[in-house]
Amino acid sequence: MAIPDAVRDEKGDTWSRRWRALHSAWLSRRAPAARAVTLDHRKLFILPTRAGLAFALVIVLLWLLGTNYENNLVFALAFLLASLFVVLPLHTFANLSGIEIRLLEAGTAFAGDFATARLALARDRDRRGEHIQLGWPAGDPVTVQVPGEGAVEVEVALPVMERGRVRAPRLRIETRFPLGLFRCWSWIDLDVEFLVYPQPRPAGPLPLGAALAEGESEQKRRGGDDFAGLRQYQLGHSPRQVAWKQFAAGRGLHSKDYESGVDSRLWLEWDLLAGRDIETRLGNLCQWVLDADRQQLAYGLRLPGRAIEPGLGPSHRDRLLAALALFPVQGV
Amino acid sequence: MTYRDLLPRESLLWIFAAQLAVLLPHFARLPLWIVAGWIAAVYWRAEVSRGRRPLPGRAFKLVAVAGVLAGLVLSYRQWFALEPMVALLAVSFTLKNLELVTRRDAFLSLLLAYFVAATLFVFEQGIPHAVYGTLAVLVVTAALAAQPGGPSARPRRALGLASRLLAQSVPLMLLLFLVMPRLGPLWAVPQDSASASTGVSDSMSPGDFARLSQSDEPALRITFDGPVPPPDQRYWRGLVYSDFDGRRWTQGFGVDPREGGRVTWRDSERALPEVGPRYRYQVIQEPTHNRWLFAMARPHSETGGVGETADDRLVRSEPVYSRLAYDVHSWPRDSLPGEPALSEFERRRNLQLPPVGNPRARAWASRLRERGLSPGEISAEILGFFNESFTYTLEPPRLGRDSVDAFLFDTRRGFCEHFAGSYVFMMRAAGVPARVVAGYQGGEWVEGEQYLLVRQYDAHAWAEIWSAGRGWHRIDPTGAVSPERIRDGLQRAAADEFMREALLPVHRIPLLNRLRLQWDMINYRWYRTVISFDSERQQDLLRDLLGEISAPRLALLVGLPAAMALLGIWGWLWLAGRGRPLPPAERLYKRFCRRLARSGIERESGEAPRDFAKRVARERPRLGPMAASITTAYERAAYADDPAAMKQLRRLLRGFWPLVRRG
Repeated sequence: MAIPDAVRDEKGDTWSRRWRALHSAWLSRRAPAARAVTLDHRKLFILPTRAGLAFALVIVLLWLLGTNYENNLVFALAFLLASLFVVLPLHTFANLSGIEIRLLEAGTAFAGDFATARLALARDRDRRGEHIQLGWPAGDPVTVQVPGEGAVEVEVALPVMERGRVRAPRLRIETRFPLGLFRCWSWIDLDVEFLVYPQPRPAGPLPLGAALAEGESEQKRRGGDDFAGLRQYQLGHSPRQVAWKQFAAGRGLHSKDYESGVDSRLWLEWDLLAGRDIETRLGNLCQWVLDADRQQLAYGLRLPGRAIEPGLGPSHRDRLLAALALFPVQGV
Repeated sequence: MTYRDLLPRESLLWIFAAQLAVLLPHFARLPLWIVAGWIAAVYWRAEVSRGRRPLPGRAFKLVAVAGVLAGLVLSYRQWFALEPMVALLAVSFTLKNLELVTRRDAFLSLLLAYFVAATLFVFEQGIPHAVYGTLAVLVVTAALAAQPGGPSARPRRALGLASRLLAQSVPLMLLLFLVMPRLGPLWAVPQDSASASTGVSDSMSPGDFARLSQSDEPALRITFDGPVPPPDQRYWRGLVYSDFDGRRWTQGFGVDPREGGRVTWRDSERALPEVGPRYRYQVIQEPTHNRWLFAMARPHSETGGVGETADDRLVRSEPVYSRLAYDVHSWPRDSLPGEPALSEFERRRNLQLPPVGNPRARAWASRLRERGLSPGEISAEILGFFNESFTYTLEPPRLGRDSVDAFLFDTRRGFCEHFAGSYVFMMRAAGVPARVVAGYQGGEWVEGEQYLLVRQYDAHAWAEIWSAGRGWHRIDPTGAVSPERIRDGLQRAAADEFMREALLPVHRIPLLNRLRLQWDMINYRWYRTVISFDSERQQDLLRDLLGEISAPRLALLVGLPAAMALLGIWGWLWLAGRGRPLPPAERLYKRFCRRLARSGIERESGEAPRDFAKRVARERPRLGPMAASITTAYERAAYADDPAAMKQLRRLLRGFWPLVRRG
């Protein structure tokens, strides 16, 4: 279970860590993880803000003013503000209560970047939700207005440092509507899990032709006359022409390319990067994958114990990146 | 949108609007440089938000603070007063505007604005001010609501939200207003002492009362408990002048409580009859910034802080800075038991005259004394003289150095102070102890609210003379010249001259006159119900509401509405948190799932009903067929809207419950 505050401070003494653990256990009993959460009084907390406490101080001062001057109008004003102080939390609470937050999609990201989750906020009653802030403790909050009818979509970003499957901490949803004197908030766990790719690290030019030793049988195949020209274009790093072709070709472009006679298939190999540590190697491979994808070269990946045949296209790229992301930490 | 963000331009404008709303009524009271400084600071900050100017630097701010402090020191000599406090608040607005950057600054400025709005009420408590103050508080609240900027800062939206919030706060405010105990001043506070007000002053020279007759401001409002005195008995005594310096009448040394005049603060030391005729009334007095109060002769008051002087007046321990209500009992002088006595000191004081001056009046007085007349006969002689050849006028001619002589023998035209002053002079010169009494005479009876409205133009001066056996008694020389003044008031007695200098002769237009009286009635009711609601009235009201004031009943009065409110809130939370009510088929199916979950088979989120039914069949073969047919019925009822399926679903479920229980 993720602990919201633990992200910020991992070196807290035992007591505060223990307290956080208790708090998080209590939270997860009270507001268990789910893809969709409806906020209600069990999940919402409310307290005055600092400005709210100052407002209470003003009420006390007004009461003193009224008492010392025996002035009923000042009393009336003090009591009006005191009543306002009682009425306000209801409005603040009602602004959040009944809102349903649904996880639409948890995206992917590179380590060191922001991972964004797409959420939908909706409320079925005819009441708007105004100035609602959503965000992870580590990220910047986003402000949304929830319409009375229908839903609003919002993207919330979380900075991610490590590759792999990253379980997002609890998301903070907060509002200070209407006067900013009270804050109503909740920590919700939407079961958000990001797939985080390694951080790309420059690794020099693509290892073209470095892995020709393997897979010869397929390379010998050749197509018709017009392939010669095409081949030249590919090698001459002029992706635009090729891109046009592939777009025109549509879905079947892998095999076509392959069949059309790419004789120097690109293998991005773990072993080519010997002598560096695991994360650096993964970062380098990640950069190569991106470079190859940008240049529209068919590329494959060889990791210890796993090989992915060369291919092209976004889904191929994502498959490779996922393989890099999920590469075991204690591998090799 | 974090706490520390820069303020959007709209919220800045709202803050300025709130400041203007709360400062506007103080503008007349504040020195010009503070107003100018505030405007300059607003202008500067607006320029900053347009990007035309940077925020002032640290050095400038220091200079500004120093300059402002110096200005305050120069403008106000007396620090422990209300005006400098308000000036200080206004100045802190101004300085804060120069560094209005974050949301925190905005909150500070607006909370300060609430406080400034309250200071308005310390100065003024009338209905117009209460209404204005409410509007100002609305603007400040709207400014708070507008702080996030964007659509919230639109005037209609912000004001609408603020008025909704304030309206919802009113019921609780009323309850608090009724039950919160009034403790009384905890420490001495500065009072609004600077503003002068019209009214009877502690000295009288010719022309003073004529000047007062130009004002139709209310002075007293009096309600009677029991009989109302007839018009010619309505003499509201405020001051007694015993000292004459040839031109001015004053109280004389040692009369005023501050100069050591004797005041009885507690129960009257003099024996007052337990029974017998008396007037019981309550006087609501407008602020006079003086200590003397107004009552009919031989008064006694139980109201706290009110004492009785030796010359039969009421005084207060503190000056009357705001409207004051006090209860009075007045015994007619004749009804008091015991032989009245005049000490030698008092006799000498009330025979005092300047050593020289007014020879003609003195000569006439000694002639009267030589004829051996009694005090009553001397008085009748003088009043007869007044009656024969004098004119009552609001515009008396100016008098020379020997003012009494000039009035008695040359001009013979005068207002009440001329008649009272020269009458007392004559009586003293003739050897009869006499004194001038100043206060109000008459008043307008307001039928709708049953009270007597006494205005400044009812200010009057008359005389009291001493005769052995009778004691002090009232003689009104004005009555000898113009009986209408006493019976019908000034407006009748001097119709042509009355309020001639008024911009708008309201008193001549009956409709406006009636409206004015209506307005005074509303004011009176406002004062009686709201402004003078003190702990005594609070207790009375609570006693009326509850029968008796006891802890359980008070708890009931507060607890019942509070409990109802809590119940309402709870119900509302329950409704709000529940979401949309489910259609019946969904509800039944949900119950089915819950029941299965309790027996160990939980439907996973996202698991289709049909898959779930299959899983049930796998895990509990005995329930399988039943679950399958329930699922089919549910799907038909929920998605095909089939009423027959709905009925079947109910029937199947009735058969299903006992099965799960056993299994």
